[in-house]
Amino acid sequence: MKNKTMLKILLLATAAGIAVLLGIGIGSVFIPPVDILAILGNRLLGRGNTDAVNPIYVSLIMDMRLPRVLLAFLVGAALSASGTVMQSILKNPLASPFGMGISAGAGLGAAVIIVSGATAGILGIFLLPVVSFLSGLLTVVLVMGIAARIDRGLSNTTIILVGMVISLFFSAIMNLLATISPSYAQRINLWQLGSFSMKEWSSIWVLLPVTIICLIGFQCAARELDIMTFGEEQAQSMGVNLKRSKWMLMLCVAVLTGTAVAFAGIIGFVDLITPHVVRRFFGSAHRRVLPASALFGGTFMVLCDLAARTLTPPREIPIGSITALIGVPFFIYIYFGKKKSGQ
Amino acid sequence: MDFERKEEMCMLEVTHLSCGYTDVPVVKDVSFYVEEGQRLCVLGPNGCGKTTLLRGLVGLLPVTGSVKVQGIDLEGLSAREKSRRIALMSQLSTTYFAYTVYETVMLGRYVHQKRSAFFGETEEDRRIVRENLERVGMFQWKDRPITELSGGQLQRVFLARVFVQEPQVILLDEPTNHLDLKYQLELIEMMKEWAGEEQRCVVGVMHDINLALSFADHILLMEDGAIAACESVKDFDLSLLNSIYKMDVCGFMQESLQRWRQ
Repeated sequence: MKNKTMLKILLLATAAGIAVLLGIGIGSVFIPPVDILAILGNRLLGRGNTDAVNPIYVSLIMDMRLPRVLLAFLVGAALSASGTVMQSILKNPLASPFGMGISAGAGLGAAVIIVSGATAGILGIFLLPVVSFLSGLLTVVLVMGIAARIDRGLSNTTIILVGMVISLFFSAIMNLLATISPSYAQRINLWQLGSFSMKEWSSIWVLLPVTIICLIGFQCAARELDIMTFGEEQAQSMGVNLKRSKWMLMLCVAVLTGTAVAFAGIIGFVDLITPHVVRRFFGSAHRRVLPASALFGGTFMVLCDLAARTLTPPREIPIGSITALIGVPFFIYIYFGKKKSGQ
Repeated sequence: MDFERKEEMCMLEVTHLSCGYTDVPVVKDVSFYVEEGQRLCVLGPNGCGKTTLLRGLVGLLPVTGSVKVQGIDLEGLSAREKSRRIALMSQLSTTYFAYTVYETVMLGRYVHQKRSAFFGETEEDRRIVRENLERVGMFQWKDRPITELSGGQLQRVFLARVFVQEPQVILLDEPTNHLDLKYQLELIEMMKEWAGEEQRCVVGVMHDINLALSFADHILLMEDGAIAACESVKDFDLSLLNSIYKMDVCGFMQESLQRWRQ
């Protein structure tokens, strides 16, 4: 049982590696995997490149494709792990940061910053991620607050319903912002469907540590998450400090989603489907599902981005459309395939 | 109360407990105690506060008054320490997530495991889980996803999970709901057996009066959030039920019996 899981994780990691190589290799200029590995290897070991390596490849990889692929991977991993956690906290397979309005809230915060042109000296590149994290968190508080008003028991269905309403409301405000400030309209629109074209190493250096820290946090709470899927009443009587766990996890979700949205815009669907696909292969235990979600989500996002920029050159398809285009049929296949074999 | 209180035998002691969902208490100033090995069933009509009482006891609702297990006040204990003493077995609920039977029961060991998930389960955890899976007769299904079990099997898995938590007090919140008679009786037998071991007691809420009477050795009758009677089953005056339930309970039961006699 244990070895089987290790094998599956290894397979997934290999798939992730291949996806990254493809993501870096394919584009207007094809770079052979051998060259990619040589260039990356040299860079990691701090060695200079040999004459055999094409210098155009080096700058293409280091300045363009590698940051983009890494960004896509990190965003995919962050959103997917968040989705897994949200579904377990809310004990509902339809929950996701996107559906709960966290993504929309974070996006709205970012849009306001873009339109107002605000800058903050100390925060610098952190301004956008910090604002979108905070607005994502505020959205959680808002959604929970409204849900509590409607329904004292704070039932999960109410939370999801309120989340969807708020999400639509925030999207509408973003559209309004785009309309009244035409000079930013294009950027905001790009934001709303997500894009990895704003690739910069600085975003990697913010997103990478945030993602790693939050994923470790999730992993530490794996058992609490397992228990929470059985409902709040049972979780509490099984010894979980529900209030604390719930808020800590929500905070991590808001940080992860907010940061991801700040750099890549609002990307839906990956956070909803990844947990389902992963659970199908890894069971439900979070100590396996969480890392597998991050790996799968990252891989999926790299491949989606590859499709987004290579299918209709030189135009890019918004990444949010691609995730849905690939994701929906895949989800239906997985979900109904399971229904059949399960009986 | 007619039975004499023995300090060292007292497992659960509830004094002046009030609790509810709003500022208006549903359970009003309730005091009782349960001795080692006892099985107490709470009876009363819908809305009299039976379930609210259980929720208050296990700490799901804020309470005034005190709840003590073996002399230790649960107030001020952490969630983990509380759950090592008192556990709740709820009625059958739907599950979306396909944990295996073994994983589900292992989650009950949470209160005894080290905080960090990285330490994992110990040899002792595994032994206790195995023993209790065997006890409820689910060991051969241990690798089955719980989403594929029947209601009766699922409730047995949840019972095993409550057992591995190794509490001194188990609270039953209508655990036999939605189960066939055969599984109801099975579950009750398992609970009886558990309660018979050292330093344990059970407090249950069951809707079926017959089932409650066959399970319990003591009855706590509630009316409008307060205690109407608390007696051992053999001293319990069944005709009291008529006035509390506002119907001829005894007559109905006798009528049913007639039907089965034919």
